[in-house]
Amino acid sequence: MEAIWLYQFRLIVIGDSTVGKSCLIRRFTEGRFAQISDPTVGVDFFSRLVEIEPGKRIKLQIWDTAGQERFRSITRAYYRNSVGGLLLFDITNRRSFQNVHEWLEETKVHVQPYQIVFVLVGHKCDLDTQRQVTRHEAEKLAAAYGMKYIETSARDAINVEKAFTDLTRDIYELVKRGEISIQEGWEGVKSGFVPNVVHSSEEVVKSDRRCLC
Amino acid sequence: MAAESGRQFWKRSAKLPGSFIKDRSKANALPMKSKKASSFHEFARNTSDAWDIGDDEDEDFSSSSSSLQTLNSKVAKATAAQVLENHSKLRAKPERAQSALSDMPTNCKVIKSSSEAQLSRTSEEACVRNPLQKQQSLPLRPVIPLVARISDQNASGAPPMTVREKTRLEKFRQLLSSHNTDLDELRKCSWPGVPREVRPVTWRLLSGYLPANMERRKLTLQRKREEYFGFIQQYYDSRNEEHHQDTYRQIFERILFIWAIRHPASGYVQGINDLVTPFFVVFLSEYVEEDVENFDVTNLSQDVLRSIEADSFWCMSKLLDGIQDNYTFAQPGIQKKVKALEELVSRIDEQVHNHFRKYEVEYLQFAFRWMNNLLMRELPLRCTIRLWDTYQSEPEGFSHFHLYVCAAFLIKWRKEILDEEDFQGLLMLLQNLPTIHWGNEEIGLLLAEAYRLKYMFADAPNHYRR
Repeated sequence: MEAIWLYQFRLIVIGDSTVGKSCLIRRFTEGRFAQISDPTVGVDFFSRLVEIEPGKRIKLQIWDTAGQERFRSITRAYYRNSVGGLLLFDITNRRSFQNVHEWLEETKVHVQPYQIVFVLVGHKCDLDTQRQVTRHEAEKLAAAYGMKYIETSARDAINVEKAFTDLTRDIYELVKRGEISIQEGWEGVKSGFVPNVVHSSEEVVKSDRRCLC
Repeated sequence: MAAESGRQFWKRSAKLPGSFIKDRSKANALPMKSKKASSFHEFARNTSDAWDIGDDEDEDFSSSSSSLQTLNSKVAKATAAQVLENHSKLRAKPERAQSALSDMPTNCKVIKSSSEAQLSRTSEEACVRNPLQKQQSLPLRPVIPLVARISDQNASGAPPMTVREKTRLEKFRQLLSSHNTDLDELRKCSWPGVPREVRPVTWRLLSGYLPANMERRKLTLQRKREEYFGFIQQYYDSRNEEHHQDTYRQIFERILFIWAIRHPASGYVQGINDLVTPFFVVFLSEYVEEDVENFDVTNLSQDVLRSIEADSFWCMSKLLDGIQDNYTFAQPGIQKKVKALEELVSRIDEQVHNHFRKYEVEYLQFAFRWMNNLLMRELPLRCTIRLWDTYQSEPEGFSHFHLYVCAAFLIKWRKEILDEEDFQGLLMLLQNLPTIHWGNEEIGLLLAEAYRLKYMFADAPNHYRR
């Protein structure tokens, strides 16, 4: 039996090859870290519920994309139906950080006039000794693009939960304020309420939904 | 541009299933190499595929590759020019080129550290770390989670043979030892599966690598192997100081590197790395009695290892030649095949098709990988090897018959599919189909169904056709 959820958000995870996108998602959705992992081909799908406040659950559908350039023609088809995204770079790989701008441009072109709510993720923070990107410069870049910045490690399970949950909360706030609304033909946000089903315990949320409709 | 040339290709190669282009000389007249002398011409001459020289009458199998090269010649020209440019840029900055190439660890040991490679961590995880190269620059260092893939090879512990199997093996031995192996007959025999004992030589023959003529085989092998190591010297050694460390990973890396550098229109695409494994494991099994899984390749003599490496390279190249448009810009081959799969499924199982539509599941969401990796990610390696027995016996097995196999594979799960009542459940199912216990029997059934579909739809006028 599926747990009750308020909304379903579709997220996309992007960034250069080998920055650890799949590992981060697997840690988040499956709670484990694979030492060996096949490079992603095309796009993979994952899902998990998160509780952003006691009793308030959001269902996340997460698209894990291949970082390799050759797959871009496939992966870019997934931008449009994403409400949020994690843009990853590897803190031990300067080039992956330098490409952040390109990734943003790439998504922008494909979702206009809408926007994807991104969080910038500096991944593999357990490898601090090999760091090539300082926290300060990453924060500066994130701020310049109006994103939050967080450092994570899938291997040591650092901030993985927080990265996804914070992003989910931010999107939730935007939805609540009506800045993002549910739209026919757009998969980014869906309401979890099935018509004619009464969830008496969810008073607050019911009113929220009225605002949006 | 890619789409347009793709359309031409389908027209051009509208030939009857099972018929081969006999005229090698014509098929050889590739615009890639025959047209005006430009820098590309020189490039093409330097990197021209050795399949195109010699080996005349034994090259029946290469018909599709020739037309594919025709198809891609425009794209290839453009990208090759780009590669050349990148090349010269990289050459101008030797340290950068080095670093771009050397941050792939071998067996999780860093081959060579450099200004940019920061990969001293020893876990396997480090193997999946290499920076994104701009498209069409030097090929990416491949990422090969080989241990996971090789663990499937069922080289040991095989049950005793039945009488039928013994007879089959005898038939193969007979065919293989005749002065001129009857390739048509060999294909016929191989379609339902090749006995493990004769698989290596059978695959070499079926792929068109070995000539049918017994006397020429030894010489051909020798020449091809030497040729391959010539490429290594020409392209690889100059960039890598510590070469010929023959670990699995490094062997694979060399094979992929040479392939990528010689096929600039594709370059290295994730997924191609998977395609080396079946060849490598099959050729390795010729020398290894025990489980390949636990085998340390350094126990083999260098000569043997080199032979396995060279043979794997040539056979993989042969395979890739036939499906090159899967890996060129925008991957037109895959897009086309996924569309064809959708159309096919809509005809053979409307219920499943409508179920997908109802829950907004798109074929590309699951079948992209099926095409890009030839179902290798969906099946245990032993099944892939069995599948390839048939693909190599079937005309256009990898490029065309695979589509029917995919359709049969999908329909195989129809009950499970129809039981799922939302998008998420469907995608999770389709991405993780439970085939872990599959063996020859399941593949046999799958292939029989695929064959049935192929013949049912091959002549339907409105159906997707090659």
